[in-house]
Amino acid sequence: MALYGSIYAGYGFGTLVTVVIAYGILDLIVNNRWFNIAYLIETPSPYFWASMGIGLCIGLSVIGAAWGILLTGVSIVGAAVKTPRIRTKNLISIIFCEVVAIYGLIVAIVFSSKLSNAIPVSGWSREALYAGYAMFWAGFTVGMANLACGICVGVVGSSCALADAADPQLFVKVLVIEIFGSIIGLFGLIVGLLMTGRVTPFK
Amino acid sequence: MSGPTVYCPVYSPLFGALGCAAAIALSCFGAAYGTAKSGVGIATMGVLRPDLVLKNALPVVMAGIIGIYGLVVAVLLSSGLSRDMTLFASFIQLAAGLGQGLSGLAAGYAIGVVGDAGVRGSAQQPRLYVGMILILIFAEVLGLYGLIVGLILNTRANGASCT
Repeated sequence: MALYGSIYAGYGFGTLVTVVIAYGILDLIVNNRWFNIAYLIETPSPYFWASMGIGLCIGLSVIGAAWGILLTGVSIVGAAVKTPRIRTKNLISIIFCEVVAIYGLIVAIVFSSKLSNAIPVSGWSREALYAGYAMFWAGFTVGMANLACGICVGVVGSSCALADAADPQLFVKVLVIEIFGSIIGLFGLIVGLLMTGRVTPFK
Repeated sequence: MSGPTVYCPVYSPLFGALGCAAAIALSCFGAAYGTAKSGVGIATMGVLRPDLVLKNALPVVMAGIIGIYGLVVAVLLSSGLSRDMTLFASFIQLAAGLGQGLSGLAAGYAIGVVGDAGVRGSAQQPRLYVGMILILIFAEVLGLYGLIVGLILNTRANGASCT
C-alpha cells in the first residue's frame, strides 16, 4: 500500500516543480522580476493572512476531532455488540476528541476579535503586517496540532474500547495514555496564543 | 458611489463569493458522504431486520442537517456580497466559508462512518442504539462549531463600507 502511494507522490512533486518554474519564467518575462518572494508576501492584504489563519484553525481542528470520533466510535459500536457494558464508559474518549474541536473554536473566536476594519492612510503599518502573518501561522499551528491530537486520541480511544471489552481493568490504564495524547492539542493552543499575544488589533 | 481604491479593489468580491461557495459545496460533500455511507449500512442491515430500517435512518437525517448548516452560512454570506466590498469583508467571508465548509466535510465524514458501523451493530445488539445516538450527536456538534465560527465572523464583516 505505501509503495503504491509513493508512485503518485512522484507525479505530484513533478507537477509542483513544473508549475513553480513556469510561474517564475512567466513572471520574469512579464514583470522583469525573478522569484521575488517579498513581493508575494507583502502584496496581499494582511486581512488575507489573518482570515486564512482563522479558517485553517477551525477547519483543521474539526477535521482532527471528526477523524478521532470516527476511529473511536467505530470501535465502540463494534465491540459493544458482544459487550454492551463498555458503551457509556468509553464516551470519555469521544469527549476527549470533542475537546480538540473546542480548542480550535476558542482560538478562532479569540483571533476574530482582533480583526477590525481599518483603511490606512498610506500603506499598511508594520504592526498590521505583523498581525496578519502572526495570525496566519498561529491559526495554522493550532489547526495542525489539533489535527494530530485528534487522530492520536482517536486511535488510542479505539484501542481503549477494545481493551475494555476484553478486560475491564485495562480501561483506566489505557485512559492514562489517552490523556498524554490530548496534551498535544494543548501545546498547539499555548503556542498559538503566545504568538498572537502581542498582536494589536488593526487600526 | 466611489470607484475602486486600493483597499476596495475590483476583485474583492472574488474571495467573498469563494467563501460562500466553499461553505455550501464542502458541507454538501460531507452530507453526501454521511448519507451514502450510513445508507449502505442501513440497506445491509435491513435485509435481515426490515423492521429497524426507519428507526435506524437517524444517521441519514443527521448528515442532512450538516448540509443545512452549510446552507445557512452560505445564505448569510451571500447577503453580504456587493459590487464594492472592502478586502476586510471579503477575506472574512472567505474565512467563514472555508471554516464552515471544512467543518461540515469532517462532521459528515464522521457521521457516515460511525452511522454505518452503528446501525450494523445495533441490529445485532439493541442496547447499542442509545450509544450510537450519543456518538452521532458528538459528531453533529462539530458541524455546529463551524456554523458558530461562520456566524461570528460574518457579524464582524457587517458594516464595513468602502468610503
